[in-house]
Amino acid sequence: MSISIGAQDWPHKDYSRVPFRLYHDEALYQREQKNVFRGPVWSVLGLEAEIPKPGDYRLTHVGEESVVYVRDAQGEIRAFVNRCAHRGAEVVRFPAGNAEDFTCIYHAWNYSLAGDLQGVPFRRGANGKGGMPASFDIKQHGLLKLRVTVWNGVIFGSFSGDAEPIEAYLGPLMRDHVGELLSRPIKILGYQRQRVKANWKLYHENIRDAYHGSLLHEFNRTFGMSRLTQVAGGHMDSQHRHSILFQYAGSDSDEEARKAYAENGVQSGNYMTLNDYAMATHTKENPRGISTRIISVFPNAFFHQIYNSLAMRKIRPLGHGEFELVWTLFGYADDDEAMTRHRINQANMVGPAGLISMEDGEALEMVQRSTAPRQDISGVVEMGGVGAIRDLDTRAQEVTIRGFWAYYSRLMGLEREGAER
Amino acid sequence: MNMKDSQGMDTLISRFVLDSAMALDREDFDHWLDCFADDGRYVVMPRENRAQGYDLALMYCDTKPVLQDRISVLRHASKFNPHYDRHIISASLVRGMEAGIATVETNFLVVQTTLTGVSNLFCAGGYEDRIRVQDGKARLVERIVLLDSFSVPNCLAIPL
Repeated sequence: MSISIGAQDWPHKDYSRVPFRLYHDEALYQREQKNVFRGPVWSVLGLEAEIPKPGDYRLTHVGEESVVYVRDAQGEIRAFVNRCAHRGAEVVRFPAGNAEDFTCIYHAWNYSLAGDLQGVPFRRGANGKGGMPASFDIKQHGLLKLRVTVWNGVIFGSFSGDAEPIEAYLGPLMRDHVGELLSRPIKILGYQRQRVKANWKLYHENIRDAYHGSLLHEFNRTFGMSRLTQVAGGHMDSQHRHSILFQYAGSDSDEEARKAYAENGVQSGNYMTLNDYAMATHTKENPRGISTRIISVFPNAFFHQIYNSLAMRKIRPLGHGEFELVWTLFGYADDDEAMTRHRINQANMVGPAGLISMEDGEALEMVQRSTAPRQDISGVVEMGGVGAIRDLDTRAQEVTIRGFWAYYSRLMGLEREGAER
Repeated sequence: MNMKDSQGMDTLISRFVLDSAMALDREDFDHWLDCFADDGRYVVMPRENRAQGYDLALMYCDTKPVLQDRISVLRHASKFNPHYDRHIISASLVRGMEAGIATVETNFLVVQTTLTGVSNLFCAGGYEDRIRVQDGKARLVERIVLLDSFSVPNCLAIPL
């Protein structure tokens, strides 16, 4: 199967037109597994706080690959592909646990916590017959290991020797903001998951789409959590592969915001009220006073601070037309009981039942369905201007989406000559 | 309680649980809210979080006013896939009764049907209820929805 899209198919060199074919091409999706997820990038595997003790492990995915991350007896974090070197069976069958070693149930091949093969039953045969040939070298048949690096409690893995050192890969913008969210030891609060029938890149676009935040998500607009009338912006790293949308709640008034939205034909009627405003209350924790930030760390992770809700989200593609999103919600180890309850209460806003996030799944499924029949045409991305890809201090923009496509195209060999970067 | 009283109680509770679930299928949220006592709470708990000892939920309404807020937002602000729900409810098992509050377990499936008439199994799970029975009327003091299907297809807008 050959890919039905090439560099010349970008209608504009600034990515202000996005061909719908990008969400549907199966061969392109296969190339993404190789060039993006197994490419020169660092994927987030998980958080150190999830596997505190030696032998603790969890399963995750890097692209479609099932990957185990585990803390070995010495306390080092290791990661390997969950596929037996013998016949390809899954070695680890439970999503999380604690183990001394791993044994594949199919033929009982046994691996150390580091993923090294250490036992092959009947290697010397039975009753003097059969067995492995003398040439079989147990050292050559370990599980496929990923490079692992741990930064501020985040476990990153890479299939490629070409990924830069993690500090350089993240760049100053990500080190600043993700670093601030992880500046104190964290504790895991739990997980939320959802499956959306849409291409994984649509979620990347959604996360970088500053424009939709208060239009699709009425809860944001009503309770002033995110509005186009607030002090806000969308910034990127120098290569435009990572991004942050940030927001200062309280920097506009309800009155001026409602007037602006009514003038733009969005809502002129009454706004709803709540019995209990604890969910929409921000206890300031960061010195800048940022109330919301949605951060994208290429290629598979997102961090959010929405008031006092903190989470890391991981995306797992399931074919070109579906992805799973795994939300890991956390607080700080030194939170008191009241703050933990507050964060659990604010988790009502996020995840598949989230009062400000449930809409995204439906929006993306609609796009996936309706673009399928006309893959020869493109969507329009002009909010915030065309041409150069740059940071803007407003949410009335989509420039960060164009930044995603610029970096993606470089990794995928789809960059048109003279394209904006 | 003699055998006859116990059967009467089982019937009353089973009908109440069924009625509370079918109220959601009709989108009669006022009736659904009325199934909760004034001190009632409602939580949708992913089974993986229960298994790992985490309190984090998908819907966490610790008080009735917060539960009412969840319904207000659903009515006025939430956007989601338009569909019909059908709860398929097992018989309810009354595990015990103490100080007028019954501990009750019920299994459920929810089938979702699109407005174009295509049905899919949306989720499986169990209600873990604490039901106060007073003057022949039942009210939920607590409903924990243990959600087996915790990787939610698209989104969860309408309570389970």
